[in-house]
Amino acid sequence: MSDTVTVRVRSHPQYLSLIRDVTVRFCSIYGLSEEVTADLRLAVDEACANVIKHAYRGDTSQRIVVKYAATARDLRITIEDTGEKARPELMQGRNLDDIRPGGLGLHFIKRVFDTVVYDQKRKNGNRLLLIKHLRSRDED
Amino acid sequence: MKIDVGDYKGNKVVSLAGEIDMHSSPALRERLLVLIRERPQRLVVNFRDVSYIDSSGIATFVEGLKHMRTYNGRLQFSEIPQGIMEIFSFSKLDKVFEICGTLDEAVNC
Repeated sequence: MSDTVTVRVRSHPQYLSLIRDVTVRFCSIYGLSEEVTADLRLAVDEACANVIKHAYRGDTSQRIVVKYAATARDLRITIEDTGEKARPELMQGRNLDDIRPGGLGLHFIKRVFDTVVYDQKRKNGNRLLLIKHLRSRDED
Repeated sequence: MKIDVGDYKGNKVVSLAGEIDMHSSPALRERLLVLIRERPQRLVVNFRDVSYIDSSGIATFVEGLKHMRTYNGRLQFSEIPQGIMEIFSFSKLDKVFEICGTLDEAVNC
């Protein structure tokens, strides 16, 4: 059985700090290192910011649902929206050597999560599944 | 996030505190661009009390740097906490920004 936490917020950037706080608290329950927790906090924040920017095109009146689930083996975070369909095949972060504004969020997401995948079965909106495999504290 | 603009030894210094994210970075962008429009030769951003930065915050500084480079101005960062520095390093921004240990080191180099 997994432990789960669900956070539902309006698609307004002011709620990103709340999502970051929940992410940090959830990680602390599972004894993740400060470094991994910081990376997860940034990655979840970037994923939710992408929902506001791209799926909702800045509309702050919509809904974002973030679900946290953990087992002994992994941490799964699901981010759901009802906005414009993402096109993962077109998503790629900028070349890190090409210094310009934007294009970093996806790098921050992919560097910490082992799996980053959109649920293609979802008919309306998006469901982004992020999985981080857990190791023992000694391995962190 | 708190933004304080002051002078230190004749240089403009922007001291930031708190979290720089998608919510707070538009206000930071506005303040930075107003300062840069005055074409300072040196602008120092002090990160001592910054606890978090995301890609929107980084984009704000990259934009500021690009503006300052058009007139050979210098955008310098000082007192960057380790966690923030790690993000700059991963993003390879430690190679493009002038990163200084202390405020004094920034204004003296």
